[in-house]
Amino acid sequence: MPPHILLVEDNALVVGALRLLLEETGHRVSDASNVADAARAMRTDPPDLVLLDLTLGADDGLALFALVNPPLPVVVALTGHDDPETRERCLAAGCRDVRVKPIRSRELKSQIAAWLGVRTPA
Amino acid sequence: MTRAYVDDLSVERLAALQEQNLELSRLVAELRNEAALRTQFLSNISHDLRTPLTAIITHGEILRDGILGELTGRQRESVSGIIGGGRQLLDMIGEILTYARGAANQLTLSRSDFTVEAVLEQVCTLNESLVAKKGHALSVTVEPEIPPLYGDREKIVHVLGNLLGNAIDFTAPGGKVWIRASRGAPTERGHVVLIEVGDSGIGIAPEHHELVFREFAQVDATASRQHHGTGLGLAIARKFVELHDGRLWVESTLGGGSRFYFTIPVRSAS
Ligand SMILES: Nc1ncnc2c1ncn2[C@@H]1O[C@H](COP(=O)(O)OP(=O)(O)O)[C@@H](O)[C@H]1O
Ligand SMILES: [Mg+2]
Repeated sequence: MPPHILLVEDNALVVGALRLLLEETGHRVSDASNVADAARAMRTDPPDLVLLDLTLGADDGLALFALVNPPLPVVVALTGHDDPETRERCLAAGCRDVRVKPIRSRELKSQIAAWLGVRTPA
Repeated sequence: MTRAYVDDLSVERLAALQEQNLELSRLVAELRNEAALRTQFLSNISHDLRTPLTAIITHGEILRDGILGELTGRQRESVSGIIGGGRQLLDMIGEILTYARGAANQLTLSRSDFTVEAVLEQVCTLNESLVAKKGHALSVTVEPEIPPLYGDREKIVHVLGNLLGNAIDFTAPGGKVWIRASRGAPTERGHVVLIEVGDSGIGIAPEHHELVFREFAQVDATASRQHHGTGLGLAIARKFVELHDGRLWVESTLGGGSRFYFTIPVRSAS
């Protein structure tokens, strides 16, 4: 079964680009544009990996952690905010890693393998 | 009777002074608020610009990497142009953000010891292809037994990269660009290393020597046309150098090339 990735992102253009990249490289993709929808999606169709944007309209992406119960899949923040405080905030909230957009397509591919590998050792 | 009069007077003065104090603290608060708002604004803008750029660059990379099928050489060249342009915009957005953080004094140094040679090599490697493309001759000289620097390596690389980038850009093809590192004259704070980044390029008229360090300042918007800048490079570079207690200045005449100098203190042998 292909790994399932949930994209939490409110910009449709970014969702479109990442969905295409991820699907074409052998992943199953679903998406949500706010934290409530994301939490629902995580309950009904649990993903292996969540790529989480931080600024979701009025929502703070990190609020997702308060809405879902453990065990959580690997959550990685994918953000346009390139500063050390944001990084700290994400790691403190429970993100496995933080990447600044746009992440290079090659890097994303190799990183996904690493992130998934960490959680589900073969 | 006289006494009562004096008391009245001082009460009145006190009240006036108190009022002035209030007014001053209100002004200070307002200025602080304005600076914070400006930083917030620039930081929001840079985030918002990054988002659609993400879509552009990611789609470009999907095509370039042949994920949707192999491209011909010319097609790949064209798509690489889209990605390159997007990445250049990203760099400029990054510069705006760095500036905003600097203006809000949100920048801190993380210091370590490193050699001048190491940072020069790093910066030259980064600029190799640009130098080659313009056919410049780049020379690097380091005075023997120069002491190691003690500072924020990333920021010093940023400063050097910026000065070198300008030297390359503001010099007609086939010009000379050089970097020299030497011991500078000791200051009251101790020993310093002096780094010069020079070029044989278009130069800067003396009346513009201070202007170029101002944020968003470009001497000639038309001359800068082929040069992609925000006019923030030198403002940020000066900020970074000053955070190290160093100085950054320029010596140049119009048409006579430019020499930018900066000093970085070395750790006192104690
Ligand atoms: N080596 C140089 N030779 C001539 N002019 C320069 C040089 N470096 C900087 N300048 C002038 O100073 C301006 C500001 O430089 P900078 O702050 O780096 O911003 P930018 O490179 O983004 O324009 C440039 O636009 C240019 O007019
Ligand atoms: Mg510049």
